[in-house]
Amino acid sequence: MTHRRGLGRAAVLRALAGFALALAFWFGFRAPYERLLASAAEAVLRATEQPAVTRLGVGDGEILVERADLPPGSPRPGLPAADLHFNLVLLAALFALDPHPLDGRRVGALLLGCLVLFAMHIAALVFQVRSVYAASLGPWSAEHYGAAARNFWTGGFHFYEVAGRFAAPFAIWWWLRREDEGRVGGSRSRNRR
Amino acid sequence: MKLQAGSPSPRRESLAFLGRFGVLLVLFYVGIALRPVNDAVVVPFTAAIARVSGAILNALGEPAAVAGTDIRSPAFAVQIENGCNGLETVLLFAAAVLSFPSPWKRRLAGLVLGFAAIELVNLVRVVSLFWIGVHRPALFSASHTVLWQSLVVLFGVLLFLSWAARARPAGLAAAEPRP
Repeated sequence: MTHRRGLGRAAVLRALAGFALALAFWFGFRAPYERLLASAAEAVLRATEQPAVTRLGVGDGEILVERADLPPGSPRPGLPAADLHFNLVLLAALFALDPHPLDGRRVGALLLGCLVLFAMHIAALVFQVRSVYAASLGPWSAEHYGAAARNFWTGGFHFYEVAGRFAAPFAIWWWLRREDEGRVGGSRSRNRR
Repeated sequence: MKLQAGSPSPRRESLAFLGRFGVLLVLFYVGIALRPVNDAVVVPFTAAIARVSGAILNALGEPAAVAGTDIRSPAFAVQIENGCNGLETVLLFAAAVLSFPSPWKRRLAGLVLGFAAIELVNLVRVVSLFWIGVHRPALFSASHTVLWQSLVVLFGVLLFLSWAARARPAGLAAAEPRP
């Protein structure tokens, strides 16, 4: 087996083309994706709060947080949605690096990666909403969240913001391509025998 | 691909890499999230990026004044925050390089060169975003949040893969990146 040293120019070009395609796709489908994400995160939030009062809506690139127990007329928090999920573009660009990105197995791996990232987006949005509850609603936050809970929710979301949202696509891609390489290597070995 | 006798399987090695990568990422994050580190290192570093970006903008004929981490012109102003100083990509790159099985000399060289390259690309990002803010303000938000952030991180990942393909000892080929 020969090893090419360094990253091939073709791989870089594929990654950039994948990036451009994914970006166009992301711009086209971000609104329905945000609705889906808000619904899923709302279900998680309502399942884990007592009483279930949180409603998440989508509007103008933001996830709008509505609580049934907030005073009428008080401002509703709006959370920037793109920051949460634009890393889908990065994931697609990384999968495009591979020599045969349109091969069925690779497309399947990309879809699986998107699914894993979707689960991470749900978790990140839950952390973000909880961090708003814990730290941004003045006396209400202080009354309902202690210092440990505040640090847990705000720290968890801050980690996603600073490191997690960039590291997640890389880790998912790295793992799924290793899995795939292992399978390809195994089947080739059997064929040779 | 042949594995050396006694060498771990690619799958196991891959999992070990990801484990080390995750642990280092959390440690680095905790490091820069601590207020004393933020105040003593991150903020001055971000202010330095603002100063260099302001100097480049002025040299390119785009008048800009810098105060702390703010860059201002009569038409547009921007504050360089933690997400805009390239450190997230540097953290990702450093965690990946230090997690990858390679001699320490190569890792250190990779860290130094990678840091410089990422910050150079980040300077291009800051200068171009300021220019977009002045001349094409409608495009600023999408360029800032989506386009440039992703491109800088993608650059960091490509840089790591390129380094890793050269940095791995010849006898340990199992986990060599082969994109």
